[in-house]
Amino acid sequence: MIGELMRKRAGPVTGVVGMLAAACLAATTAPPEPLPTLAKLPVAVTIPPSGPVMAVARIDGSRRARVRREAAAIDDHLAGRWREHGVEPSTPLDDSQFVRRMVLELAGRIPSYEEARAFLEDASPEKRDALIERLLESPDYVSHFYNHWADVLRLAERPQKNLVLEPYLAWIKDSIRTNRRYDEWVHEMLTADGRPWENPAVGFQLRDDGMPLPYVDNTVRVLLGTQIGCAQCHDHPFDRWTQHQFYELAAFTAGTRTRLNAGIRPAKPGQDPKPVPPPVVRTLIREIREEKGRKSGPMIQFILANATAVSFKEASLKLPHDYQYDDARPLDRVEPEILWGDVPATVRNADGREQFARWVVSRSNRQFARTIANRIWKKVMGVGLVEPVDDFRDQNPPSDRELLEHLAGLMIRLDFDVREYVRVLVSTGAYQRRAVLHDPTSAEPFRFAGPALRRMTAEQVWDSIVGLIARNPWTVQRPTVADVAEVAAIDLRTATVADVERQFDRFMVRFGPAARQRRYARECGYQGLWLMKASEMPTPLPLGHFLRQFGQSDRESIDGGRTVPTIPQILAMFNGPVTHATLEEGSVIYETVMQRDPEEVVDAVFLSILSREPSAEDRRAAVEELTAVDSATGCGNLVWALLNTREFLFIQ
Amino acid sequence: MSRLIASADDRIARRTLLGSAAKAAFGLTLLDGVPAGRAAADAPVPTGANVIYLMMRGAMSHLDTFDPKPGREEQGETRVIATTLPGVSFGEHLPRLAGLADRLTIIRSLTTETGAHEQGTYLLRTSYPELASVRHPSLGSWVVHVLGKRSRDLPGYVLVGNGNEHPGCGFLDPAVTPVPVADPRRGLENIRRPEYLSPANFERRLALADRIDRDFRGHYAGPQIAAYDRMYADAVRLMGSGDLAAFDISREDAPTREKYGTSRLGQGCLLARRLVESGVRCVEVESAGWDMHRDLWDELPEKAGELDAALAALLADLESRGLLASTLVVLGTEFGRSPKINENGGRDHHPAVFSGVLAGAGVKAGLVYGASDAAGRTPDGDAVSVADFNATIAAACGFPWQQEFLAPNGRPFRIGNAGKPIAAVLA
Repeated sequence: MIGELMRKRAGPVTGVVGMLAAACLAATTAPPEPLPTLAKLPVAVTIPPSGPVMAVARIDGSRRARVRREAAAIDDHLAGRWREHGVEPSTPLDDSQFVRRMVLELAGRIPSYEEARAFLEDASPEKRDALIERLLESPDYVSHFYNHWADVLRLAERPQKNLVLEPYLAWIKDSIRTNRRYDEWVHEMLTADGRPWENPAVGFQLRDDGMPLPYVDNTVRVLLGTQIGCAQCHDHPFDRWTQHQFYELAAFTAGTRTRLNAGIRPAKPGQDPKPVPPPVVRTLIREIREEKGRKSGPMIQFILANATAVSFKEASLKLPHDYQYDDARPLDRVEPEILWGDVPATVRNADGREQFARWVVSRSNRQFARTIANRIWKKVMGVGLVEPVDDFRDQNPPSDRELLEHLAGLMIRLDFDVREYVRVLVSTGAYQRRAVLHDPTSAEPFRFAGPALRRMTAEQVWDSIVGLIARNPWTVQRPTVADVAEVAAIDLRTATVADVERQFDRFMVRFGPAARQRRYARECGYQGLWLMKASEMPTPLPLGHFLRQFGQSDRESIDGGRTVPTIPQILAMFNGPVTHATLEEGSVIYETVMQRDPEEVVDAVFLSILSREPSAEDRRAAVEELTAVDSATGCGNLVWALLNTREFLFIQ
Repeated sequence: MSRLIASADDRIARRTLLGSAAKAAFGLTLLDGVPAGRAAADAPVPTGANVIYLMMRGAMSHLDTFDPKPGREEQGETRVIATTLPGVSFGEHLPRLAGLADRLTIIRSLTTETGAHEQGTYLLRTSYPELASVRHPSLGSWVVHVLGKRSRDLPGYVLVGNGNEHPGCGFLDPAVTPVPVADPRRGLENIRRPEYLSPANFERRLALADRIDRDFRGHYAGPQIAAYDRMYADAVRLMGSGDLAAFDISREDAPTREKYGTSRLGQGCLLARRLVESGVRCVEVESAGWDMHRDLWDELPEKAGELDAALAALLADLESRGLLASTLVVLGTEFGRSPKINENGGRDHHPAVFSGVLAGAGVKAGLVYGASDAAGRTPDGDAVSVADFNATIAAACGFPWQQEFLAPNGRPFRIGNAGKPIAAVLA
């Protein structure tokens, strides 16, 4: 029937305008809108993946009872708080709100039409737990939590010209995929040695290469939720940290080296201030500069990337020349000392970096558990018990200390299994309620009568819309450690200029920006965009990209993502290529609606985009629209309109 | 009505769109006490100067630009050049600005407490330290809020750069939040309807979205949703503006574009000039890349060269168009860089002293205010806090800098916090 109707329609039937000429029966006398000439969707994204996208660590279904118990303990505590403060809890989620919220929370996108429908029609009493478990072991969970950590850790492929950090990014993704214990992967990051493709965990130490003091500041901020950065230059103005303490802490990692056989000479005015690489490297660089003309710049960077390797050799740290306090003199040598607690006895004889790392992740350092417990609580509930999540201090106490300590204890009991912790939080009754408004300027603390109303993150918006377009948003994945090692590694002891050039050319074919762009465009390109998961894209993206318009981090600031409105993001939703792509022939929503009987079209559009049935008034508005203009335009308008609601952008 | 629109020409249809749909859609009336046509009807009559603010992100080295210390070890590799002001020299990479020094006020005794980029930039943009409980308005938002917009449809405030870290309107009306332009060469992307989409159909879409969204917006009525509603309305209004060419620097001739330099900063300054000319009140142009912890002298020539071309061209252009008297140009950065050269051939963060530049409306021309000590380490008298710097900017553009404004939480705030304008700098 569809084919017949398609043929009846005069002229070409493509994209938004041709859409649903068949599915919508409403007759129209209005002349059709002029047909656009639109690009076609790349075929690869319209075909579902043929096999599993990746193998994700399985969830232990037998722990369901334990999860419920832990969730109930949190609920009991919150219920007590509600009574104490006269707070009325928000309404529990109905099934359609539940499936939308949970898929957004755990998989970072809205549910597909089929997914939402299957859940709504499922009559089994434990379908909510089952959905949570299914999502937590899906590739989209890995993608979504990768995005979270990419924002926290400022993940970038080339934070400096000489750094090739793709392996580190791949390793973070893999740590999430295999659900490694958080304390373990943190310890590994803080102590790793080698080049990024030999030991990708070194990326964390290399992220602030050349800035040993900011490295300490950022590390403590991210992992221990404490801001000691001010004390780098002077005693902290409104916390207890002194400049001396900052240097004492930094003394642990002062021996971290990031250059292979580093022969770094202090720069003096008038001399070449650059770090002097080992003699072999220096010779290679000179030869390349003489022989390779315009290609020499990038080739030298490639050599320097190979000469970048983390190692540790004990070294001392001195106070700055302008140290101004009475407890020590400028340029005094500083003995390493931690901020609180004790270095674990097992590592007292280890090197400074190992002592620091063991102290950070130790179970007796409860601040480590508090910080991650609070960070993930905020991710799930929308508001941290301490805000900002990286500013724990005496004058900024938690809004509910007892709950924070309970959550830190839970994190420890779960052996820092962050995914299991997420599973507990989303299983609470408090979370499974409608969102409530949160006013950060209010003097009254947020009482978690439900999670706070939030706009989707940039990545959630993008992955949701791509899900309305692409059956396969995974045509391209982030390169693996092995991918990079194969084309990046040079043996600097024996390499000749010809060896370097051969490997450099291979590297550029695989990872050069131009080559990468061509490959992505071929696989999933549409009008200058790549229809792929946000987590797999090169990063940071250019400022004008849809994801950046919606507030994705520039990967320069910790937790740099934003969810505030701007004119460019609205213009992108109005007129941009992403919205168009949803309406192209072959898109997921196009095909979904095409398969429906006419009377089901409105329901299908609502379920696809808002994960719910239309209300009576919605249905009236939609049907009026479908009958007022020609049906194709009407359906296109309906899709466009739903994408441009606040209900679409906000998570209720 | 739809037939009328369908048969009307594009211009009429746009006006209809603006008049009816924009107001009907997006629930402008939901905004408590803020009349829909604020910019047009009851906005304050615009007074005072425009502001173009060049924001050097990463912390610009004062020693290598506006406050060199020739003959000192701390100077490193940067040589110095004479300027049009007797006895005043600049770093060698600012030759054009050296030629225009008699148009500038150079402040060499700025000082701040924080050596962290985000906090430093926040302070520079708002005069207040960053707090969890309140978001302070940025200078440009203050200025537009109090002195008013100049154009009905164009925004009052445009940011050429990254909006993520920008405090924006703070606690003020979201209407005065800056509109970010990611790439000055591309202007405002997606500002035009696709060709196949008629004005009538666009209007239908807006009305339909509005109707379906009513329940949700009602249930969650509050500042978050209101800010989005407002932004949708502003986007629709902007799409209908007849002044969109202001965002299109490709309309400038090639020699003009080249004069500003092909860098993002240069093209951003050219865009800023076009926007101010068309009635935008404040433009901030961001330029990242000053955080030179290593290999400073490899990176400095390009970065300083971009600044030299862009700012010199901007000043000359504003002057020749008669706009410099009504436009204040500011060059700011979050803090300075250490006189001590580190082991990687770079300079680390140095909040104790740094430089800033003012030119144009309300300030003296050809003045050096304040000085750093012989090594460029601390202010040598006449220290200027960031709050003082901002109060000076406010006073120079005719802003009532002493006036206190109440935030929704009832606390009073001033544009320059507790800072006072530097009398010697004001014209």
